[in-house]
Amino acid sequence: MKVALLRLGLLAALLAVWELAGRAANPLLAVPPSAVVPALRDLLLLRSYPRLPASLWLTVREIGVAYALAVAAGLGCGFALGMNRLLGRAWGPMIAALYAVPAVVWYPSLMLFFGLDAASKIAFGFLLGFFPITLAVLAGVRQVNPHLVLVARAYGAGVVVVFFRVMLPSMLFTLVGGLRTGLALSVIGVVVGEILGSKDGMGALINHAYGLLRTGDYVALVLVTLLLVVGSDVLASGLERRARRWSE
Amino acid sequence: MTAAGGALIAIESVAKRYVTSSGPVDALDNVSLSVAEGEFCTLIGPSGCGKSTLLGMLGGLVSPDRGRLLVAGGPVTGPDPRRVATVFQDAGLFPWRTALENVEFGLELQGVPAERRRRRAGELLGPLGLGGFAERYPRELSGGMKQRVAIGRALAIDAKILLMDEPFGALDEQTRVLMGEWLLDIWRRTRKTVIFVTHSLHEALFLSTRVAVMTARPGRIKSVLELTMEYPRSMESPEMVALRAKLWSEMREESLRAMQ
Repeated sequence: MKVALLRLGLLAALLAVWELAGRAANPLLAVPPSAVVPALRDLLLLRSYPRLPASLWLTVREIGVAYALAVAAGLGCGFALGMNRLLGRAWGPMIAALYAVPAVVWYPSLMLFFGLDAASKIAFGFLLGFFPITLAVLAGVRQVNPHLVLVARAYGAGVVVVFFRVMLPSMLFTLVGGLRTGLALSVIGVVVGEILGSKDGMGALINHAYGLLRTGDYVALVLVTLLLVVGSDVLASGLERRARRWSE
Repeated sequence: MTAAGGALIAIESVAKRYVTSSGPVDALDNVSLSVAEGEFCTLIGPSGCGKSTLLGMLGGLVSPDRGRLLVAGGPVTGPDPRRVATVFQDAGLFPWRTALENVEFGLELQGVPAERRRRRAGELLGPLGLGGFAERYPRELSGGMKQRVAIGRALAIDAKILLMDEPFGALDEQTRVLMGEWLLDIWRRTRKTVIFVTHSLHEALFLSTRVAVMTARPGRIKSVLELTMEYPRSMESPEMVALRAKLWSEMREESLRAMQ
């Protein structure tokens, strides 16, 4: 209850500051919340951007494909490097180093390679999501207590049983955390990719409104995108909580 | 039934060498021992004398470089939970499973239906002194309780042979003595064949029908003591005091060698 009040209070304060600042500024550069409301209404009624549903759907699909690829490749690479001591020692640090590079530097070449359509956005979302998932799997595999593996083997567990009954539960927490971070970064990758250069998708609409200085529409589009991001994170954190309860 | 004169377990001239970063280490050299059904056989010896390696071989987790091991007449080729159950020094409970679920683990791997294994595990918890703790997680249990859950997990699969690798090594002295009494009771009721590894003279003398003293590395069997006294044993009887002195003098020699 107190937490909710404090959250609402902060939101109200931010809105008030925004309103005051927005009214004082040049309306081409900034808009107060009071001006966003009509823009948001026009947007949702498909007056300002009739292709909003198609664009939103495109962005969601790009995120879905990028994330699915990142999960598949991240789990694959993570387990391959985690289970094989030599490969893990050789390549693990390189992956961690690559993760530290600001990923946006790769984007121009991705665009040259994959073109302006969905492929380059998917590639970028994949690239961003891949690293945290891989690194989480690597860290998770290291968390597995070898003694528990030995105990399971003594009781007749083969490789598959050890994997599902010992390894997965041991690393579940770290793994789910990595999957959640990966999702957030895949979303960022796709949206940033669209903003940096695209013909369609939420990023393209944002870019369009921003380029034409339709600041109200721009803010309204950002809010819709924000909802998408927050929604995906709420979903992921729900799964994380469930995993935590299960692993304890 | 078996080649080696009815022995349930026959260890024949086994040797094991480990390759470490600082060169090869001979853990076991030419160890032979046979154990009859129903025996409580203790392996005692200085640290690093290969007791645990020998136990690992019997459990099928370590393979010998030379020699062979037979259980019920057949060679040991890998873990065989239908015949051999192991209790380790570190209880090795799965932290995401309750006490009851940990006891069920082996039965689960053997495909025993959920209801039956739950019933079986539940029946075990009472005698283990864990009646009220079925739903507790390992982190909520004391060291002694954890070790009893681990023993419960081993008893649940009802294998003939129980391998125990310093099961009470991590416990304080008082708990250790009580756990010994309790184990004796379990053993006398279930009539399992127990191979027990320990550092403790007290445990060896209090529990065993036979004690095998191992030498410092590379481990060999130095001598075997037959203990025929009735249970429960008094540690103060003249016979026991004499045995204790004898066992200690053998142990002392090897421990001194191990320290050099």
